[in-house]
Amino acid sequence: MTDSRKKLNMWLVLAFAILVLFLIFVVYPPALVLYKSVLMEDGTISFDYFVKFFSKKYYWSTLLNSFKVTIVSTLVSAILGLIMAFVLRSVKIRGSGMLNILIVISYLSPPFIGAYAWVTLLGRNGFITRILNAVFNTHLNGIYGFSGIVLAFSMQSFPLVYMYISGALKNMDNSLNEAAESLGCTVFQRVRKIIVPLVMPSLLASSLLVFMRVFSDFGTPMLIGEGYKTFPVLLYSEFMGEVNTDDHYAAALCVIVITITLVLFFLQKYIGNRLTYSMSALKPMEAKKVTGLRNILAHAFVYLVVTVAALPQLTVIVTSFLQTRGASYTGKITLENYRNILMPKNVSTITNTYLFGLSAILLVVVLGILISYLTVRKKSFLTAALDTLTMFPYIIPGSVLGISFLYAFNKKPLLLSGTAIIIIIALCIRRMPYTIRSSTAIIGQISQSVEEAAISLGSTERKTFLRITVPMMMSGVLSGAIMSWITLISELSSSIILYTSKTQTLTVAIYVEVIRSNFGNAAAYSAILTLTSILSLLLFFKLSGKNDISV
Amino acid sequence: MSVAIKIENVVKRFGKDTVINGLSLDIKPGEFFTLLGPSGCGKTTLLRMIIGFNSIDSGRILIDGKVVNDIPTNKRNMGMVFQNYAIFPHMSVKDNIAFGLKNRKVPKDEIEKRVDEILKIVKIDHLKNRMPQKLSGGQQQRIALARAIVIHPEVLLMDEPLSNLDAKLRVEMRNAIKQIQRQVGITTIYVTHDQEEALAVSDRIAVMNAGVIQQVDTPKNIYQRPANVFVSTFIGLSNILDGILESNDNGKASVRIGSYRFQMNNIIRDCAANCPVKVSVRPEEFIINRETQEGIPVTVKSSVFLGVDTHYFVETQEGQEIEVIQNSDLEELIPDGARIHLKVQTHKINVFNEDGSKSLIDREVRA
Repeated sequence: MTDSRKKLNMWLVLAFAILVLFLIFVVYPPALVLYKSVLMEDGTISFDYFVKFFSKKYYWSTLLNSFKVTIVSTLVSAILGLIMAFVLRSVKIRGSGMLNILIVISYLSPPFIGAYAWVTLLGRNGFITRILNAVFNTHLNGIYGFSGIVLAFSMQSFPLVYMYISGALKNMDNSLNEAAESLGCTVFQRVRKIIVPLVMPSLLASSLLVFMRVFSDFGTPMLIGEGYKTFPVLLYSEFMGEVNTDDHYAAALCVIVITITLVLFFLQKYIGNRLTYSMSALKPMEAKKVTGLRNILAHAFVYLVVTVAALPQLTVIVTSFLQTRGASYTGKITLENYRNILMPKNVSTITNTYLFGLSAILLVVVLGILISYLTVRKKSFLTAALDTLTMFPYIIPGSVLGISFLYAFNKKPLLLSGTAIIIIIALCIRRMPYTIRSSTAIIGQISQSVEEAAISLGSTERKTFLRITVPMMMSGVLSGAIMSWITLISELSSSIILYTSKTQTLTVAIYVEVIRSNFGNAAAYSAILTLTSILSLLLFFKLSGKNDISV
Repeated sequence: MSVAIKIENVVKRFGKDTVINGLSLDIKPGEFFTLLGPSGCGKTTLLRMIIGFNSIDSGRILIDGKVVNDIPTNKRNMGMVFQNYAIFPHMSVKDNIAFGLKNRKVPKDEIEKRVDEILKIVKIDHLKNRMPQKLSGGQQQRIALARAIVIHPEVLLMDEPLSNLDAKLRVEMRNAIKQIQRQVGITTIYVTHDQEEALAVSDRIAVMNAGVIQQVDTPKNIYQRPANVFVSTFIGLSNILDGILESNDNGKASVRIGSYRFQMNNIIRDCAANCPVKVSVRPEEFIINRETQEGIPVTVKSSVFLGVDTHYFVETQEGQEIEVIQNSDLEELIPDGARIHLKVQTHKINVFNEDGSKSLIDREVRA
């Protein structure tokens, strides 16, 4: 038994080491935030900061604003996503493959780019606004505040609902439809009684995801909100603002937002557990050719939505070739913007993005494989604790993560602030729950007897893991890694807090250039980011052999 | 070269459940030995204890006289064939088979030679460089078998290897397995819940139930002379009838089922007379009597004509249902509702004590 006990210890040590890492980087920073939020300057403990927040309208109204934009954006996304999925699954639409890719791309680009692109189009000085003002002789002041935020969020978020519902419809066997029809259901009864209940879990799950993303996003309201202040904007300005920053108050705000996301997380879990049907379609629904008015309407609707959704990407790419003077365009086509961002010897913004993204992916993939192996194959109290901890980052919004990292790692012995490492770790942690969930699913599909076969053939446990388990996981892990990569290079909310001039990434650069009204440079940076995302997505499709993604 | 396996009083617990409680077995060198039993009877647990995936909580397992309890699986030198084949999907057929040899640091040219040799034995030499994913279940099973025996294991273990194959392939593969085992002569332990499969391939069978060995014997004896009522009903079909052992004069006994009395000459001598017994009669061991009143009076409920045989489902006066199988002949089937009498072939039937735990048949006597 001695030999196998030694092997067990190897995994035990590994589990323990990972647990320690998690305690330092996942548990300690938020715990510190919690502590700071109730710690007064004189060293006493009280809830004064929370009282301060809820007693002044200037503060609590941001929370109200956040809920308003989030609820409206989520509703719009859910309705749009649902209809789009229905139409594209049931009606044959020309070019639906390309439309699918466009929808995925608009989901993958960071929401604040959408916000800034909408400002370019519909802002005070936007292309469309100017045309409208000239044609109708009006003085439209552009889309800012509530409506701007909702527009940017909805167009960026409905693809998530669309992908979920589309996936659910794909798994729904058409014989369910046929059975209902043979039992005397009309088309509308069928939709109401069969299809909607069956896609309900996906609709709710994706809506809650949208809700959480929108609620904690800070870039969009910052760029297009103007006077309309949401909670993340308040949090950012309390922490980073030029005047009156208050660490402890910011910590209290972090605690408030974590509480809200925590409630949402459990709500989602509860609903997810109660409302799942396992379906696998032998004969999926087929998109049918329709004729006449219905066909025209279906095409018009789908094309309109996709065009609006993809418009920001298009705007960014087009404007990256336009000459600018600050926030206005001269009308000349030029490569000046690219010259501006690429010609200085320092292109670290771009190299940083790739370097940080790749390092974080490498780290998160290795950790993801190890942790999921431990939690699936080496069940113990320790690995169960690890499993729970890995879901923790899921409820921590990016900006809160960034703030907590600065609190936790700004003095020795853990002086990391300002380094590339702190950004890489933050990116890694943000992606951890997703990676682990997918790796766990992949390992669950590998029969344990394959590993046992290797052992019975004289292979050691370590060799079995490296030569059998890991290679078998690889294709699934790789496609997951590409999706993570796309998500990470468009990450803003924690990088914006953690960056210094040496560790600036593309998203940070775009944000900074927009704030400085250097729209040309911002567009060029955005174009590079978008291009990278599109190429990565195409690589994903090629590797996974699918042309839709599951998130 | 073949080795014996000795299992002494092994115990396995999962949490509070004792799955196997003091089980012992002796398996002879080169034997094709089958563990047969219903699912959950502990046969796979025992197999996994032998290879080392399950620890042994108490007792010993000896291979060739050596205790293996503390030897880790990867040092035990046993080959195993899994229910789902467990083929490495990312390796070619050749690499799958060579995997164990590489772990044993066998020189490259010898690996090549041994792989080719085994591919011929299992008849898949034409698939050597293919990836396994596109291959059929039968082909994958041959790879699994080749992979397990190419390492020249002391023991070959097979865990329900045929249960994922379709019926026709199952028969083909079980003949192939039997033939290959003969050819290489490895002591083999085979786990199955399929009695027909067990009867077809095994030299000897251990019938297990609830972690306890019920009988270890040749397929023929297991079927014809089951050790208790469990074996007699688990292997094949048996009608269990209540009877009385009326007298026993040195093995010449008189047995009565209801009003039907018959003589037997193979009851164990020292068995007390005048006690209730269980009489186990297989459907084909009945003789239908339509002429006289001799036999168990029954009513025909329904019949099924299956070509070679005809099955009759009949009911006794007490309401017990009995299945009877007769060779089909040219006469009309007996109509439903007909009242007939059933006699038994006294030399074939089995008699057990009242609780069914012990056979009362003296196997030394030719009935």
